[in-house]
Amino acid sequence: MPQTLERPPATQPTRRAPGRPRPSVATIGIPLAYVAVTVFALWWLDIRPAALLAGFEDIARLVQRMVPPTTGDPGSLVSLAIETLWIAIAGTGIATILSVPLAAAASRHFAGPRVIGWLARGTIVVTRAIPSLVFALILVRIVGLGPLAGGLAIAFHSVGMIGKMFADVFEELEPSPREAVRAVGATRAQNFVATTLSRALPSLTSIVLYRLDINIRASAVLGLVGAGGIGLALQTAIGSLDYRRALGIILVIVIMLLALELVAYLAQRALSEHAEEHSAAQLYGEGRAAASPGWNRSRILRVGSGLAALVVFAVSLAQVLADPPSFGRLWANTARVLSGFFPPVFSPDIAYGIFESVVMALSATTFGVVFGLVIAVLSTRHLVRFEPLSLALRGLMVLLRGVPDIIFALLFVAALGLGPFAGFLALAISCTALAAKFFTDSLVRVDPAPLRALEATGAGRMQVFVSGVWPQFVPSFIGNSLFTSDLALRESAVLGIVGAGGIGFLLEESIATLHYDTTAGILIALVVVVVALEAVARWARRKVI
Amino acid sequence: MTLIQGATGMAATGKADDTGASVVLREVGMRFGENVVLDRVNLTVTPGQFVALVGPSGAGKSTLLRLMNGSHRPTAGSLSVLGVNPATCSRPELRRLRRRTGFVFQQFGLVGRLSAMENVLMGALGSLRMPCYGIATYPRPLRERALANLERVGLVDQRHQRCDTLSGGQQQRVAIARTLMQEAELVLADEPVASLDPNASISVLQTLRKLSAEDGFTVICSLHQVELALEVSDRVVAVRDGAFVLDASTSRTSQEDIRAVYAQAKQG
Repeated sequence: MPQTLERPPATQPTRRAPGRPRPSVATIGIPLAYVAVTVFALWWLDIRPAALLAGFEDIARLVQRMVPPTTGDPGSLVSLAIETLWIAIAGTGIATILSVPLAAAASRHFAGPRVIGWLARGTIVVTRAIPSLVFALILVRIVGLGPLAGGLAIAFHSVGMIGKMFADVFEELEPSPREAVRAVGATRAQNFVATTLSRALPSLTSIVLYRLDINIRASAVLGLVGAGGIGLALQTAIGSLDYRRALGIILVIVIMLLALELVAYLAQRALSEHAEEHSAAQLYGEGRAAASPGWNRSRILRVGSGLAALVVFAVSLAQVLADPPSFGRLWANTARVLSGFFPPVFSPDIAYGIFESVVMALSATTFGVVFGLVIAVLSTRHLVRFEPLSLALRGLMVLLRGVPDIIFALLFVAALGLGPFAGFLALAISCTALAAKFFTDSLVRVDPAPLRALEATGAGRMQVFVSGVWPQFVPSFIGNSLFTSDLALRESAVLGIVGAGGIGFLLEESIATLHYDTTAGILIALVVVVVALEAVARWARRKVI
Repeated sequence: MTLIQGATGMAATGKADDTGASVVLREVGMRFGENVVLDRVNLTVTPGQFVALVGPSGAGKSTLLRLMNGSHRPTAGSLSVLGVNPATCSRPELRRLRRRTGFVFQQFGLVGRLSAMENVLMGALGSLRMPCYGIATYPRPLRERALANLERVGLVDQRHQRCDTLSGGQQQRVAIARTLMQEAELVLADEPVASLDPNASISVLQTLRKLSAEDGFTVICSLHQVELALEVSDRVVAVRDGAFVLDASTSRTSQEDIRAVYAQAKQG
């Protein structure tokens, strides 16, 4: 008997990966699909080494015409850069205010009418699927050129993103305080403010700050479609073939984004230090009467930062609304655009444009993931112990991430001509930078203990990586790759606005020529495709992680 | 055996005279699908009584308390809580009933990142119309009452402290002070001390007992420790498999009686 009991463990090592699920459709099928799309894209976009080399020559010639950069009138650039900030802040603020009730209605705990819950969830899905540049294209037709269109475009797209994340936060809260306050006879609204909003506040704040960071990047390019901000100057410079000024403006954008990134990093560090101190502190000081709350450091910081945020938001609104359209014109324009949407028109051109966008996005993701992985491994200190290389790679990635991909697309279109090849290159670069960042972050978090144990057995570098690092890394690798692909898809839909292939070109053309019925068809098709691919990604993530 | 007869006897008297009773249950049954949680139970609780519901987990104690505050509806029988039937009344009526009925939870139900005082003030939300956020948004008279209630549970010095930095016993006291804000006529407590250590348990229960005696509110408290029930309550109701197996005054009951009832029920 004891022998039979001993046997199963003895035979176990012969089985590969005991206890792990067998490779599923998701683990084999999804990477295969990406590779297949990439091979197809290589043939379809005619990406051969010779073409690439020729392309690089063209880009080098363009870069030659860009140096030395000039800024022209630096004063106007600075004021456009500041306008960009106000657009991002106003848009993020409006989205935050709209997102709270939206997320409350979309969360699983919502006890009101079901229809409202569905509407809220639908709004979140649709606004998330439509990029802010697309919103900007339409809004410029409604509220006119300028920062108001930009602010609203940022707000509309962010509502979906912020609303989704808020709803997740609300759903994760532990239910007992909600039950307790329901038991005292509080109304739903009172209960929501007292137990849900109060507990979610720290997470909501960090979501909003994270989104603000993304929105500042997005606002920097809104000017390309006339929706205010520094992108307008870039559009003008490239349009008038003033490439030296274009490079100057790009540098201003990159420096602005990097400086803000630094500010955000420092603020985050200060906040997390404060959070530790905060958790043990008295929330209020001694008041004049025992029943009234007094002031202490913690309350001053809480109230002060809240008020400061409100003031900044109010100023941003005032800036964005500096030149508001008349109500009558707004109404007439809205009615014209919305009635133009019906009935939506679908055409083979739309299908082709979307197909082109999807192919660009998926093939760029494959390139981005492969190069990103190599760069991440080379720049992770405990894997490759060559400091200068890792530092240089990290710096390059930060720089590349600082440039919005539509700016790359703009440059590649200028160098290589119109078409999906330029878009593919732009997306591949930004996917590489993005994936490298995600992968580096998760490689740093790999538990080093098993690696040291492997090294102690005399395993080589490659062996340590394959047996020690890879198994720990693979779930986040897949998750981040799918996320990169998700972002690439949204971006690929707008690159056509600057002529870099995909559905964006048709979209802009339909709006410019007032064929709003085609616009509606494109939007519907876009939402369907984005949501469908998101569903596949969600399914794959569940299967694999 | 005599004790079980006593239980049915109580039910009979409950039927005859329940005007002015805090809680009356008549033949109340509850089932979730095939699973019978409560099997036609009868109970009459007179105002000011401190009733301990004892029994193993899963016996139906929580369900019973949730029926009384309208969180569940019985599948059979009828009930009356402070003269209102929570199973059939309208939503506004239920809100009014909940305002008059305190509920103390095993998990306290506090918002950890708010101060003790803010959590106590939430007990007054039923009497307010608008949502409130932060101490300063509550009217001053309510703040003074919140302070007085914190004083009564012995936590006036911790009023501005974050609740998640308080001990378990202190947190449950904050929850009790929140209930006091309702000036409730009936307090339902669902395993209020199950997550506390023995010393904190007895002190929290004694606080509840003292407050009930001072303000005259009725308490129905579920406990799984028989010795605690005997120490603080006027009346012990033992529940097992959804039925009452003992219902007697605490002064006439000993731990042995309760054990005997369970032993008997097991054999039966």
